[in-house]
Amino acid sequence: MPHSDAPPLRFGDDPLLWAAWLYYQDGLTQAEIATRMGVSRPSVNSYLADARTRGIVSIEIDPERFRALSIAKAMQDHFGLDDCLVIPSGGTGSPLIDRLGAAGAQVLSRLARSGDTIAVTWGRTMLSLANRIGRGGLQDLRVVQATGGTTAKIPWTPEACATRLAEALGARSIPISAPAIVSSPDMRALLMREPVVAEQMAILAQANRIVLGISSLRPESTIHSSGFFDGPGMQGQYHAAVGSIAGRLIAARGEPVDGPLEGRTIGVDLAALKTVPCRIGVAGGMDKVQAILAALRGGYVNVMVTDADTARAILTAEGHEDGPARPVAAAPAALPERVRIKKFLNRPQDAVNETVEGALLAHQGLLAPITGAPRALRAVDGARPGKVGLVIGGGSGHEPGFFGYLGRGLADAVAIGNVFAAPPPDPILAATLAADGGAGVLHIFGNFSGDVMNFETAAEMATARGIRVRTVVTTDDIASAPVDARAARRGVAGNVFVFKIAGAACDRMLPLETCAALALRANARCHTMGIALEPGASLESGKPSFRLGPDDMEIGVGVHGERGIARARLTTADEATDLIVDRILDEMRPAEGDRVALLVNSLGATPQMELYILNRRLRQRLRARGVGVHRTLIGHYYTSLDMAGVSITALHLDDELTALLDHPCSAPAWTQGGRP
Amino acid sequence: MTTPMQTFSRHDLTDLFRSLAERMAAEQSYLAELDGEIGDADHGVAMAGGFGAAARALFDADGGGQTLAQGLSLAASTLLNAVGATTGPLYASALLRAGQALGDEDRVPFDRLPGVVIAMAEGIAARGHGRPGDKTMVDAWSPAAHAARAGLAAGMAPAQILRQAAHAALEGAQATRAMMAARGRAARLGPRSIGHLDPGAVSAAALLDCLASWAEGQGRAP
Repeated sequence: MPHSDAPPLRFGDDPLLWAAWLYYQDGLTQAEIATRMGVSRPSVNSYLADARTRGIVSIEIDPERFRALSIAKAMQDHFGLDDCLVIPSGGTGSPLIDRLGAAGAQVLSRLARSGDTIAVTWGRTMLSLANRIGRGGLQDLRVVQATGGTTAKIPWTPEACATRLAEALGARSIPISAPAIVSSPDMRALLMREPVVAEQMAILAQANRIVLGISSLRPESTIHSSGFFDGPGMQGQYHAAVGSIAGRLIAARGEPVDGPLEGRTIGVDLAALKTVPCRIGVAGGMDKVQAILAALRGGYVNVMVTDADTARAILTAEGHEDGPARPVAAAPAALPERVRIKKFLNRPQDAVNETVEGALLAHQGLLAPITGAPRALRAVDGARPGKVGLVIGGGSGHEPGFFGYLGRGLADAVAIGNVFAAPPPDPILAATLAADGGAGVLHIFGNFSGDVMNFETAAEMATARGIRVRTVVTTDDIASAPVDARAARRGVAGNVFVFKIAGAACDRMLPLETCAALALRANARCHTMGIALEPGASLESGKPSFRLGPDDMEIGVGVHGERGIARARLTTADEATDLIVDRILDEMRPAEGDRVALLVNSLGATPQMELYILNRRLRQRLRARGVGVHRTLIGHYYTSLDMAGVSITALHLDDELTALLDHPCSAPAWTQGGRP
Repeated sequence: MTTPMQTFSRHDLTDLFRSLAERMAAEQSYLAELDGEIGDADHGVAMAGGFGAAARALFDADGGGQTLAQGLSLAASTLLNAVGATTGPLYASALLRAGQALGDEDRVPFDRLPGVVIAMAEGIAARGHGRPGDKTMVDAWSPAAHAARAGLAAGMAPAQILRQAAHAALEGAQATRAMMAARGRAARLGPRSIGHLDPGAVSAAALLDCLASWAEGQGRAP
């Protein structure tokens, strides 16, 4: 390359740009640049500084890492830590425990000095750390078990963690030759007098560094598999405990929790632990937030290693808010938020009863009251002898759910709760009695704890009166829990299809077990997901039930104004449809040529026009996948008061479900003819 | 002359429920706001409506010769039918247990009141299968029951025990902020539930605070 003190043409005559290029892009030293440019080294230095202040060079840190850095700083300030390392959360690659172990190993390597006595607790994270630390060439290290041992059949016992760490560091390993928990305080006293144990405990007392894991007391945590809590009634003694360090329990604010185990535990106690000058805590995971927070509040840790999501949750729990990294230019003023929504109401507390009254009048030929039960309705053409009765129900606010699905070929009776609240057992029982035709009654409702409890009680009451009841709980909302936790999912707009399939089965005089099995199959093949643009507003206060920024949308919302699983920037109709369709197709895995029924449902305030726009993209996507559409329902079928938003349901059809779907029905919200 | 032993009567039950209903009405919008963050915003209405209806029913039946167990059973069924939801069955179970604890008498010694807190906590745990740490009302009721047991074991005065239970419930409710919901509607929010108080635990702490204040007021009365 020819040497010249004239800048190459592409830099024009800008020495700042040239110097910056050579430094940042070509990686030359300032001295080399000085030679290349034919200027002095201090000139190069000032060129580079100018290049940054004038914005020719901007230094960018990977946003994920930047976020981790700023969270670590906030953690350090908030809890007065000596240091804190926050690793980016999640993403692809290795599990959190592995990455925390590696980060902990890095921190320990950095802090450890020759001559240290390092105590170590046990657990998955500790073993992971020990497996990842490299020999740093330090001398005269000792690694000491922080507690006695356990015989639990786990790989991460205190013995294993200490031995492995000592090996890796080339340190002398000092075990504690006694169990962590002994049978009685007397036995502990006896063991502590044993010369071997006493000597080991003396070394433990000399530890100048401790590496510790933090265990939550949630059912899945290490503490339960380690044998520490074995023994009848042991957990009852520790109701205030939220976390554990070295086998000692701590409460929410970090105070030690005293109990019968305390006098039987051999190992470092919490008071002694706090006198160790360097206390490195390594822990992460959402289930541990409360435990880690307690450890930080209690001051048991002064160097913390965790991941960004955990740290963020800990700070959130402390009321700390993520601020922008630096002040940004003021955004143009947003339009005023809707603070109070206008509604047609008399007294809010009368709204449900007045709705029922109006519905009865509007649908005279279809709906009828049930004597003595103001919050239960029956279908005029409903129960008949020998037919399985179908009872549906749930909270109000979903209109035309649920009474809109009463009628021939659909449900026979409905129980109506307060707004977004499950109906109590009495109206459910009244509906069950009204629907009974002597062949048993099927209860179908969405999976919410209140509905489950109240329907369960009503079913027991009906059984006591000699009515056979089968229950199908709908779980079609794919956003509300992962696929392996299907039973935990909410039941939302897919209800409409499940009611239809079950109602047709009942109308065909099929037996109770068959009707229930078909309803279960429809539920299993129903996939729903929703997106909200504006929250619904409470009848009582007229206020939105949660806040959604002017450019945000909430993904995976339910039908009670509750928040969804994630918030995202508002996108186009097509992109919003894709968000939903991607998830539905992922789970449904239709084969080419399969057929579905669709429900494009307004959550309340979204007009029909937008539903058609969404439906257009929905059909493009299904056509591209080779999926046929047998029937489309589009409109207000299952709402959430006046929430603006949509839910899309796809029912994956087979021949039997198709026939039942096509069965005629006559109800306020769904009427279709056909061959009975 | 000895002072007559203080008692808790069926009439006191009406008075206590009037206080509880007033307190829930006062907390209604705050509870709705908390529930809006992680639930469906109906908890304020449910608690105010449920305890209001129970208080009216107790008032209407007052003087009708009911025992405490009958009164609490009436309160339970009224609350359940006014509310439904999750709150209804849970508090109905709690009040039925409270009735069993007080028994078929129309008045009991005042020192039986702390046992009511323990019975209610047991009723709620049995009905809802919730565990401490799930971010539910159990996180207030369970520490309150433990505090009541500890107070009884230490032989403290009833009003003092109830105050201690209320304090434990409040601490428990505050601790729900750091919890990730494992039960109820908020569980579907997963990690996003962290940082919010559980409205069920907050209302439970308010009920217990009201109970303690009511008992303290009785102690001061002539």
